[in-house]
Amino acid sequence: MTTSLSRRGLLGAGAGLGAAGLLSSCVGSGGGGDAGGDASSGGGGPLVFQNSIQDTAPKAALEQIVAGYEREVTMNSVATEQFRAQLTNYLRASDPPDVISWYAGSVARAYAAEGLLLDVSDLWTGDGACAGFSEALRELSTAEDGKQIFVPTNYYWWSVFYKRSAFEKWGVEPPSTWDEFLALCENLSGQGVIPLANGIGPTPWMASGWFDYLDLRINGPEYHLALLAGEHSFTDPEVVDVMEQYERLIPYFDPNMASYDAQQAATPLAQDEAGMYLVGAFVSQYLPEDQRDDLDFFSVPVINDAVPTAEEAPTDGFFAASGTDDPEGTKAFLSYLASPEQQEAFITGAGSSNLPTSPEVDPSQFSPLVQKGLELLNSTERITQFFNRDSSDALQTTADAALTKFLSDPSQRDSVLQEWQAAAERVHGS
Amino acid sequence: MVWLFLAIPLAVELAWVFWPAANSFSLAFTRWNGIGAAEPVGTQNFVDLASDPIFRTALTNNVIWVVGFGGLSVLGGLALAVALNKPGRGIGLYRSAIYLPMVVSMAVTGLFWRVMYQPGGPISAGLDVLGLGSLERQWLADPDLALYAVLVAGIWRQVGYIMVLYLAGLKGCDASLEEAASVDGASSWQTFWHVVMPQLKGVNMVVFAVTVIDSLRTFDLVWAMTRGGPFNSTQLLSTYMFEQAFTAGNLGYASAIAVVIFVLAIGFIITYLARQARAED
Repeated sequence: MTTSLSRRGLLGAGAGLGAAGLLSSCVGSGGGGDAGGDASSGGGGPLVFQNSIQDTAPKAALEQIVAGYEREVTMNSVATEQFRAQLTNYLRASDPPDVISWYAGSVARAYAAEGLLLDVSDLWTGDGACAGFSEALRELSTAEDGKQIFVPTNYYWWSVFYKRSAFEKWGVEPPSTWDEFLALCENLSGQGVIPLANGIGPTPWMASGWFDYLDLRINGPEYHLALLAGEHSFTDPEVVDVMEQYERLIPYFDPNMASYDAQQAATPLAQDEAGMYLVGAFVSQYLPEDQRDDLDFFSVPVINDAVPTAEEAPTDGFFAASGTDDPEGTKAFLSYLASPEQQEAFITGAGSSNLPTSPEVDPSQFSPLVQKGLELLNSTERITQFFNRDSSDALQTTADAALTKFLSDPSQRDSVLQEWQAAAERVHGS
Repeated sequence: MVWLFLAIPLAVELAWVFWPAANSFSLAFTRWNGIGAAEPVGTQNFVDLASDPIFRTALTNNVIWVVGFGGLSVLGGLALAVALNKPGRGIGLYRSAIYLPMVVSMAVTGLFWRVMYQPGGPISAGLDVLGLGSLERQWLADPDLALYAVLVAGIWRQVGYIMVLYLAGLKGCDASLEEAASVDGASSWQTFWHVVMPQLKGVNMVVFAVTVIDSLRTFDLVWAMTRGGPFNSTQLLSTYMFEQAFTAGNLGYASAIAVVIFVLAIGFIITYLARQARAED
């Protein structure tokens, strides 16, 4: 009896699948579809939280925070690359996950423009959880229609990192002008030290770090963001200026940078074979634990003092699907995640150098490095994120190809910029 | 009852293989970012492909890959099979050692070779010891060498598999024919080429199909070692398709690349099968 039943069940399932395939329209024809397949139930059921944070300590910290929430929340953690590919499906599903962890900026705005994100403006007004966040963060979390669609909970900063003990050993000081910076590179080079660490092999996007900063320092944040939005051409004389400065740095980079990834590139820094590294604050995780207190940083010096100061600070947080069954419950959970207590719990639990977005978190308990990072971001006039987050992952691939090619052979600068512009036009056109 | 048992795999196959494949064909004629409705664009994707420099690099690389990966692993596998097709002390050990890389996944193979090629890694250190330090390169970062560096890793893994296929084929060869040939005074090369090879025809067909399909679908190895870099110089059709689909979100354009891969694979196989069939008539 059981066998015949299960056989019939199997057959039914097979027939059902076939029928589903035949009946559902072509995948590209729009409409809902059940692509996500996440079972969230309405009203009183558990909220569904789709998580992309995979590093062990931050994930564990987040799990603990979610477990501490008053309501039951189903947390699905998905590997970041797969998450990126599936994100659209999550949001478009007829029964989408309620809360989703992702990045602020152009990607979130693109989804908001499609009407896929929940309006969380309430959280940004009155005594909402995000009401006290900085203006820069508010701007970053606002969609084109002026509504807030993102809840930022932490961010980190990019700067030139170095080890204090190593600088003492070599008898050098952090520079305060661009000329001093170049002189410092020359000095270190003369001492047999690699002035600038970098890893653009498996992580070619690292080449965009210097591009972003040079563009911000030479042409300013307005120009930089417009360039990334496709309003200027990569063949502009402004971009050529940036590449000229970039070219001056090439002799100072680690000769092995094209083979290293971002993490391997930190090894020469840890071993005092390389002096400085323009990288995100996540570099502290790449160094041995006993060297982390030795780590310090300075901002890329001003090149053109006519443009406003700006720092790159990629911002992470959460947004919600507009298709959620329970908008109120979703917003309540987002408020919980954005609360100063939970931000603090996440940062201490994750052991990272991330900064809280809430001004109510008491910074005195964080490491001096994090406090200095907070000070840097509070004093800068503009906050940008990073090449891909200020444009798109598609434009990032064009930057990767162009910049790594330029770094391997700067004499091809003009043809590289033309190819870059052609590739960027294909991205903006599609 | 037979039909019932056939119906289940057929339904599964239809739902999970043919239906998605058919969709991929229809998507190839649209522009679709995965959000919103797909916009039909006719053959525009294929027109764009023709003028896309990265697609041309990928296509050229795929040709190099099919010839290099296919040719060298088949030659190597056949040579090893012939050499190891005799009883002897420890012969099993040699065979297993050569087959062993096949046991590890492509992604692990890629990571393993990335360590080998690293600056200061085993290969560079080995060259140093041999006094050939001047030959050291940044193997995976040099656009002229990277594809071949990845190719070596691919062959290293594939050769054992081909060897096993040929060993099985050689076991089925009639030994009395070889004896007769040597009695007739044929050289060992003549025996191999005119007596053994014709008997391997069945295996050759399997090896050919396996090799073409494997080389066209190679993805994980390149992805693990170079991700198509440096600056797209090791991009294969499969990696470029993945990048377009899941990084750039151009699902229509990526489907067009998938169609090209499909046409290439099916074209190779059908041509070969047709020639085989004609030869047998």
